[in-house]
Amino acid sequence: MHKVTSTSSLGPGGLDLTQSFFKPIQNTAPPSPTKRHTKISVIGVGNVGMAIAQTILTQDLADELALVDAVKDKLRGEMLDLQHAAAFLPRTQILSSTDYSVTAGSDLCIVTAGARQNPGESRLNLLQRNVGLFKKIIPPLAQLSPDAILLIVSNPVDVLTYVAWKLSGFPSNRVIGSGTNLDSSRFRFLIADHLDVNAQDVQAYIVGEHGDSSVALWSSISVGGVPILSFLEKQQISCEKETLERIHKEVVGSAYEVISLKGYTSWAIGYSVANLAFSILRNQRKIHPVTVMANGFHGIEAGEVFLSLPALLGRGGALAVTNVHMTEEEAQRLRDSAKTLLELQRQLDLEV
Amino acid sequence: MHKVPSASSLGPGGLDLTQSFFTPIQNTAPPSSTKGHTKISVIGVGNVGMAIAQTILTQDLADELALVDAVKDKLRGEMLDLQHAAAFLPRTKILSSIDYSVTARSDLCIVTAGARQNPGESRLNLLQRNVGLFKKIIPPLAQLSPDAILLIVSNPVDVLTYVAWKLSGFPSNRVIGSGTNLDSSRFRFLIADHIDVNAQDVQAYIVGEHGDSSVALWSSISVGGVPVVSYLEKQQIPCEKETLERIHKEVVGSAYEVIRLKGYTSWAIGYSAANLAFSILRNQRKIHPVTVLANGFYGIGPGAGGGEVFLSLPALLGRGGALAVTNVHMTEEEAQRLRDSAKTLLELQRQLEI
Repeated sequence: MHKVTSTSSLGPGGLDLTQSFFKPIQNTAPPSPTKRHTKISVIGVGNVGMAIAQTILTQDLADELALVDAVKDKLRGEMLDLQHAAAFLPRTQILSSTDYSVTAGSDLCIVTAGARQNPGESRLNLLQRNVGLFKKIIPPLAQLSPDAILLIVSNPVDVLTYVAWKLSGFPSNRVIGSGTNLDSSRFRFLIADHLDVNAQDVQAYIVGEHGDSSVALWSSISVGGVPILSFLEKQQISCEKETLERIHKEVVGSAYEVISLKGYTSWAIGYSVANLAFSILRNQRKIHPVTVMANGFHGIEAGEVFLSLPALLGRGGALAVTNVHMTEEEAQRLRDSAKTLLELQRQLDLEV
Repeated sequence: MHKVPSASSLGPGGLDLTQSFFTPIQNTAPPSSTKGHTKISVIGVGNVGMAIAQTILTQDLADELALVDAVKDKLRGEMLDLQHAAAFLPRTKILSSIDYSVTARSDLCIVTAGARQNPGESRLNLLQRNVGLFKKIIPPLAQLSPDAILLIVSNPVDVLTYVAWKLSGFPSNRVIGSGTNLDSSRFRFLIADHIDVNAQDVQAYIVGEHGDSSVALWSSISVGGVPVVSYLEKQQIPCEKETLERIHKEVVGSAYEVIRLKGYTSWAIGYSAANLAFSILRNQRKIHPVTVLANGFYGIGPGAGGGEVFLSLPALLGRGGALAVTNVHMTEEEAQRLRDSAKTLLELQRQLEI
């Protein structure tokens, strides 16, 4: 019997309806191997983790959802708050535990846990603290779900995706970071809102490092298939580089804006990650700008480094990187990004 | 041109693509009257308001979503955080303002704003403070959306639904409270989890006052159509009243449990309100236990002095709001508890200055 809550008034000692409410059908075979039983684990039940978990639940992406965190009470409270909506949702098994055993057999593990930067703390120091956290999280996750896809959301996402890859021992196609998927959505929203067109008709990638030095691929932005830059040239509309830089800065700044206004971001990253989960679990073969192993693509040859590139996602994880057109300048910025990240990685202590 | 954020780098003064990116089609007629354009306003962007707003967005229940609150920065931050998901959702216009003009012409207004109880504060005092707040919220809402349905979520929901009704001047079918819709869901979850069956196959209502004195309608609980209580009798399984009371207490207690564990509740009430929004806006004619004007039902009559009272009853919801109350079977004891609930609420209402 599926017993999620500690209900003492229903069950042995209370009112026990189980023995006689249904008459079982005899001689049944056990269920066929559950090829469609989808299990997603979310590590970290802060604002980001819960926005992701709740969106996954609303969009009916999983049959089973496991939540893990270090703080027992908060974890249990969040689990109950989701379970109480049972009458309004398709039946989803929702579990939680401070113990990683609850994640066993996951198809997708989403990691949102991470330390926040202390005032005056160096980026390297924050990173090292998060590496310490990942040393506790990634090995059990990987061991208990050896076939899973790992989706890293914690920041700084590019380096932490590299760290997760190293600590898991997984092939690189199965370790992905949420990267610039959301940055690109914000970028597309700005452009779409200006043109008063649906954001899904705006093709626009921000790639590279998720953060201040991300790279906006202006040369490949199109709306309804019409490439913007060449269109502007044809129309002889002047478009200065400074203007494009300003727009890009606005995208990068919009995350900080939300943080300064409401204290954190949650809803948008929730939708972004649920969007990735759907593409992966339902084998959509959609192209998303996400953190992948970038070595060998777009002239990045400097070493094993993870950063965002437009990648084809499906049930096997990251299947390919698209040969999107980049100007020499864009490609150079990407390679500079890679160098910075490699330098950061080199200073980390990854011994378990 | 639809301009939501203050994007100075795109637009006049920056890069302006609007003049020439598209060639407009000439001689177009304006859109037909937007009978299909659904607008929902959410008042209050705390944990509850935002869980409701976000669920409504994910479930694609509206074409336009307006958020209102008194705190400017938080309000704008929440709006932006929803807008940034544009690439992942059907196109929904999302607006926000501390000014109620942004709510004009809503089809549904959901009110979650409310003061929290200060330590040692009496329930009456808290209630009076919330009445003060509603005096600022309800009149402009009603004036700017004279045809809207008002859905009250703020607590204590039953009395505040009555207050909203009084302050709005709306017919009572258009002022509804979220009531015991969620309590009933928790109730159904407990039973369903125990029997290992889908919660949607468990028909079980908690009615009356949303709170400690709600009434569990045991006599009408069924699973897959099989009434539980008479079933137990037939099977000669003893079922003591104390046991049923304990189960009910557990439902009431589960809200406090979540508050104690995570500080507040949000997700479940979000789904509950979105569920009600769907039934109303899509004219589903589904039965929900929600706060409605209860006079005339189940022997709840006007007390001395003609008191009108709102509490939860199983009500048929559709585009016109609360259309009917179902004649669900109640034992005399259950009906009496309901009438006692009504008396308590009436007494509270009498002391309010509206």
